[in-house]
Amino acid sequence: MSSITLRDIRKSYANGPRVLHGVDLDIGDGEFVVIVGPSGCGKSTLLRLIAGLERCEEGEIVIDGRRANELPPQDRNIAMIFQNYALYPHMSVLENIAFGLELRKVPRKTREARAREVAETLQLTPYLDRKPGALSGGQRQRVAMGRAMARDTSTFLMDEPLSNLDNALRNAMRTEIKTIHQRLGATIVFVTHDQTEALSLADRIAVMKDGYLQQFDTPAAIYDRPANRFVASFLGTPKMNFVTSDAVTGWTGRRGVEVGLRPDTLRLHRKKPGAASIEARLTLTEMTGSEVVLHCQTQSGAMSAIAHRRQDLPAPGERIWLEYDVAAAHLFDMHSGARV
Amino acid sequence: MTPETSARALWIINGLTLLVAAIFLSPVLYSIWMSFQTSDAYYSGGVDFTLRNYDVAVGQYNFARYLLNSVIVSGIVTLLGISFATMAAFAFARFEFRGGNLMFGAVVATLMIPSHITLIPNYLTLARAGMLDSYAGLILPAISSGFAAFFLRQYIRGIPRALDEAAYMDGATPLKVLWRVIVPISKPAIFSMALQLFIAEWNNYIWPLVAISESDLYTLQIGLARLYRVNPGEDVIDWPLVMAASTITILPVLLGFVLVERHLVRGITMGAVK
Ligand SMILES: Nc1ncnc2c1ncn2[C@@H]1O[C@H](COP(=O)(O)OP(=O)(O)OP(=O)(O)O)[C@@H](O)[C@H]1O
Ligand SMILES: [Mg+2]
Repeated sequence: MSSITLRDIRKSYANGPRVLHGVDLDIGDGEFVVIVGPSGCGKSTLLRLIAGLERCEEGEIVIDGRRANELPPQDRNIAMIFQNYALYPHMSVLENIAFGLELRKVPRKTREARAREVAETLQLTPYLDRKPGALSGGQRQRVAMGRAMARDTSTFLMDEPLSNLDNALRNAMRTEIKTIHQRLGATIVFVTHDQTEALSLADRIAVMKDGYLQQFDTPAAIYDRPANRFVASFLGTPKMNFVTSDAVTGWTGRRGVEVGLRPDTLRLHRKKPGAASIEARLTLTEMTGSEVVLHCQTQSGAMSAIAHRRQDLPAPGERIWLEYDVAAAHLFDMHSGARV
Repeated sequence: MTPETSARALWIINGLTLLVAAIFLSPVLYSIWMSFQTSDAYYSGGVDFTLRNYDVAVGQYNFARYLLNSVIVSGIVTLLGISFATMAAFAFARFEFRGGNLMFGAVVATLMIPSHITLIPNYLTLARAGMLDSYAGLILPAISSGFAAFFLRQYIRGIPRALDEAAYMDGATPLKVLWRVIVPISKPAIFSMALQLFIAEWNNYIWPLVAISESDLYTLQIGLARLYRVNPGEDVIDWPLVMAASTITILPVLLGFVLVERHLVRGITMGAVK
């Protein structure tokens, strides 16, 4: 059982500017919440507040229905994976992983068995006797993860736990985290810069910017109904295109609106189509696998679109038309950026 | 540098190192050698090997007892001193508490007070507490080392705080963090400070001289100094005997150094944080 509620959390570091400006977050028991946002927006700070590593002087942190502002971190029974790993340099990999259990007086046999089991799933078995100093970055990161996984708890805070892994390992670990989440019914708060990770893992995503929570909703809702221009441009690769309503032929809606068009909703034409379209000059194509990203220049600035590789593709420099569907567009207020 | 010249450079460096080491060691070696000579042979320039000097030092002049006293006093001073210094250093390095900076300033200030100034106040205090002529009287004034606290605080500040935080998340109390994370990582610094405390106390002369009048509680340094004065009638000092006593005084320290030396290696924080 573990639910976490943040009420109007504000935080400034000692004689520094304010880094969190009133964040409200309601994380249900067993929920998988992913926090995304640009570097420096306060994601780690938020995790550290939940962990109890930073003092929470403004706002309230409620864990399992009880106010936890004054509860020291060691009494919160939360496992945390640190962005910088924070491994114990004088302990072996095995000892690092088993330390949390040792502190809770789990007998040696039991805790070592548990640590070995965790190490096995993280493919760390060959390194059990090594010290962190003799491991690669990715191996260290997995030890940091193992240390959290071995713990007997149902609340996990993970600060970019997969950032240093290669693709294969990252996918394997992602599955592993998902499994823990389902098997233990664990509550997980997970910070990442990786959109795929965010969209594929999260029950709900919290998008942050400059210490403000922008939107907190399911991945589908965030992708389909972004609350503002920032959220719209932050999630989705390539980024959403924005054109002013004036540039839209036959625009009848209110004025002063920005129209957001996801690259995958644009259709490529080599001749001017009958439907609404934007004329563009292709500047660059970028292969991503089965698809190609088209970078073009239009009267309203740079835009990108996605095309299948099967299509016979224009060469850079050619004139093309991008057909769009106003009904599928996202509209944002030109000044406030809020969704209209 | 080519491999040949660097090999030659290595030879030269090694040679010079050996030479300097020999120069530094020669008085010690000479005194140890002298301690195994009879005094007649020594003064006449001959060589006559004997263990009699040690026999006299231990038997007649009670050096075994002094050695025991020195070991007890220096040992306890080191143990208590380093424990207090480490705990104080941890508190100063990691916790913010009211008056913390002021207290730390006070600790640093003690480094600027010459020890001789505290001699009389300490004496009066212990006299009033009835602790002169006791082990406690020898030990108590020496167990707070401002320098060790200051030095260890600086060292601990160099340890990433993230390690403390990881341990707290793992469920550690502050004392556990100190004992299981900070102390093991600070081992080299703690051992060097402990060694320093030990040597300072082992060599302490003035305080035992002032605080102790009972010969059963003499430390080695007092015993050694008294060797010069025991036979006022004889105008020659029995140097081989003094050297035997000196050797008894030096050897435990050398031995101790060899034992802790391997702990004085560079600390390990490598691989802890990104
Ligand atoms: N101990 C500190 N003292 C002062 N300012 C801090 C401290 N830690 C973080 N900050 C500031 O607070 C802001 C938020 O930092 P935080 O580490 O939470 O960002 P983040 O979202 O985790 O970034 P990243 O994605 O780069 O990890 C930053 O502007 C940072 O400079
Ligand atoms: Mg961060």
